Amino acid sequence: MKLYDYILSPSCYKVRLMAALTDVKLDIRPVDFHPGAEHRGAALMDLNPAGSIPILEDGDLILTESSAMLVYLAARAAPEWLGSGTTEETARVQQWLSFSNRLTTSLGAARLHEMLLRPGDITELQMHGIAALREVEAGLVEQGVRGMRFLASDRPTVADIACFPYVALAPDGGVSLDPYPAIRLWSRALRSLENFIEMPGIHRLHELKPAPYIEPGGA
Amino acid sequence: MTHDAMIDEWYPVGLFSKLDAGGRKTALMGEPIDVARDAEGNARVTGGNGRPLPVCVRYGHVWSSLGAPQKALFAIPEADQAGRRFVDVGVVRVRCSPLRAVENFLDIAHFPFVHTDILGAEPHTEVQNYKVEIREDEVWATQVKFYQPQAAKSASGGITTEYMYRVPAPTCAVLYKTCPPRPGEWDVITLFVQPLAEDLCDVWPWMALYDDTTTLTDLIHFQQTIFLQDRSILENQIPRLLPLDPGMEIPTRADLTSVAYRRWLKRHDYTYGAQLVAQ
Amino acid sequence: MLPDTTGFWTPVALSADLPAGTVMPARTPAGSIALWRSDSGRTAASADRCPHRGMRLSHGFVRGEALSCIYHGWSYAQAGNCLRIPAHPGLAPPETIRVATQRVEETDGLIWVAVGEPTGHPPRMEGLVPLRSLMAHASVSALEIAAGATADPVGIVWKIEPSQTIRLLLALQEDDQTLIHVMLSDKCSPAQRIAASRAAESLRRAAEALQAKGIAP
Repeated sequence: MKLYDYILSPSCYKVRLMAALTDVKLDIRPVDFHPGAEHRGAALMDLNPAGSIPILEDGDLILTESSAMLVYLAARAAPEWLGSGTTEETARVQQWLSFSNRLTTSLGAARLHEMLLRPGDITELQMHGIAALREVEAGLVEQGVRGMRFLASDRPTVADIACFPYVALAPDGGVSLDPYPAIRLWSRALRSLENFIEMPGIHRLHELKPAPYIEPGGA
Repeated sequence: MTHDAMIDEWYPVGLFSKLDAGGRKTALMGEPIDVARDAEGNARVTGGNGRPLPVCVRYGHVWSSLGAPQKALFAIPEADQAGRRFVDVGVVRVRCSPLRAVENFLDIAHFPFVHTDILGAEPHTEVQNYKVEIREDEVWATQVKFYQPQAAKSASGGITTEYMYRVPAPTCAVLYKTCPPRPGEWDVITLFVQPLAEDLCDVWPWMALYDDTTTLTDLIHFQQTIFLQDRSILENQIPRLLPLDPGMEIPTRADLTSVAYRRWLKRHDYTYGAQLVAQ
Repeated sequence: MLPDTTGFWTPVALSADLPAGTVMPARTPAGSIALWRSDSGRTAASADRCPHRGMRLSHGFVRGEALSCIYHGWSYAQAGNCLRIPAHPGLAPPETIRVATQRVEETDGLIWVAVGEPTGHPPRMEGLVPLRSLMAHASVSALEIAAGATADPVGIVWKIEPSQTIRLLLALQEDDQTLIHVMLSDKCSPAQRIAASRAAESLRRAAEALQAKGIAP
């Protein structure tokens, strides 16, 4: 399974993270997105005429939407990430998978503007980003009342992985995460999962490892 | 406050390879500028009032100045060595003082916490004594050693890496680092910083490496990974400006390079992006 | 906020939003703080700035009974003294390296931080439990107009429907922002709690619209 990948892309990171969490080995093909704009070059446009990454290639199957890639990985390797299958939970998973696109077009675009100098109306993008973060926060509060820690279920699903990267990287686009306590706890729960991997901008939770023993009075 | 001393310095304003006739609208120390390539293929930089600004093209980048540079851009002799690969890493914007961006680049003590399992890892946090001096009016730190789990894209497994740092200009730093495939040679990694405003900068990393096996994209991604890990630190330091007066921030022995850099900035009146009075 | 002659207590967060072994950013009228809870459950508040290189401590991490900075791992005790500088593992940090701290009290599921030197304790919230905190880009007056109620020293009592009253505990922030802690009866059902959360969102929207139109001062 080959992933056309850019290390700084939150959408590519979703797929790497999902693969790590479900123990799927990916063949990573790095794409020179910045500064090279390789994703707009002929070879990659042949694979994905939309000129976007990630692209996931598995035999005849070519996927160009990250949410579909998450579902593909989960369905193949770890169906519990698709949710328990109850009517309501299935709908919630779909709700957040679709919603994740709003995070990409608001917080993701703000991040590209602030970090890699891509064009855009930054005030507008940040405003839409804050509106989206408030919806995630409210959704998590309501899940908390239902006794669930994650967006669609009481266990993490593809919905969480679809939403987590752009939310966690909101500060890269100048949108603060300070006012969202439910998002903070949810993000922490995801970052504490076994086999979780980081991307630049999301630091290691150093507390998950004990402090190293220091020889008293040494050095 | 005047910033005369820094006005006459050279600054990176764009990648030469990415320039076109349409030009690139950017800024230098608060002034809007335009960087373009003319009909003959030469880089041209225009100031806010349409006046032509000094130009030189070196190390993959276009350099310019709002003032009248007294000397040529600093030399990096390794840039002319055969067998090296020259890597344009591309621009990253950071909401911080250009001086903070350089100071972070000179720091090794943060490796285990910010570049975890790449440039450093607990429990290998100790910074051994190293040497700092002023050489021909540049800040130099030598004999800097640190244990690194994955020092470079070409490294496999942990090694103790040796570093040398050099600050040849107020917003530029050059790192010389143990070269895994060629012991005895140094890889060169630079941080060229374009000051857009006192608290906003465009950072242009550039590299001159001995590495014949790693793909160019992998080399770029490795360096972008490292710098983007730093970016979330740089945007959360308070104050945004670099404090030059002692008292505001507490250094230790591990920070000798930073101490020398701050003193050198102050002595030269390089204060664009600096905070002079403790607040 | 309860002003007295020497200072007052400000509610900064819900206890449930700060589990053991975590740190979060919070604001008081006296500045930004890193609010943290040690592994053994003790809460503490320090200035949100590491004195080494100015990094925000609320981005750091908690191990055992210490808060560490994410930048270089310098760690601090509840009292604010520096415990460890990883770059110099054998060095006992001098007493002069410390972060300013503020008193913290926790009652009825709320975390209060002292601004100045209040003599008393934070007010009690008999029969109420906290639901959530949310930040509004609106002044207290905008929230009062939107709720059709007047704020007393511990916030606004607001009738969201004939049978349900909630209390909004307000903490004034900089830049005309107000932190709202939603409190409701400890007898509320899950459905009522979700309704209260949605009502609070609705109130925030209304107050922010008033603020944006310049209708509220």
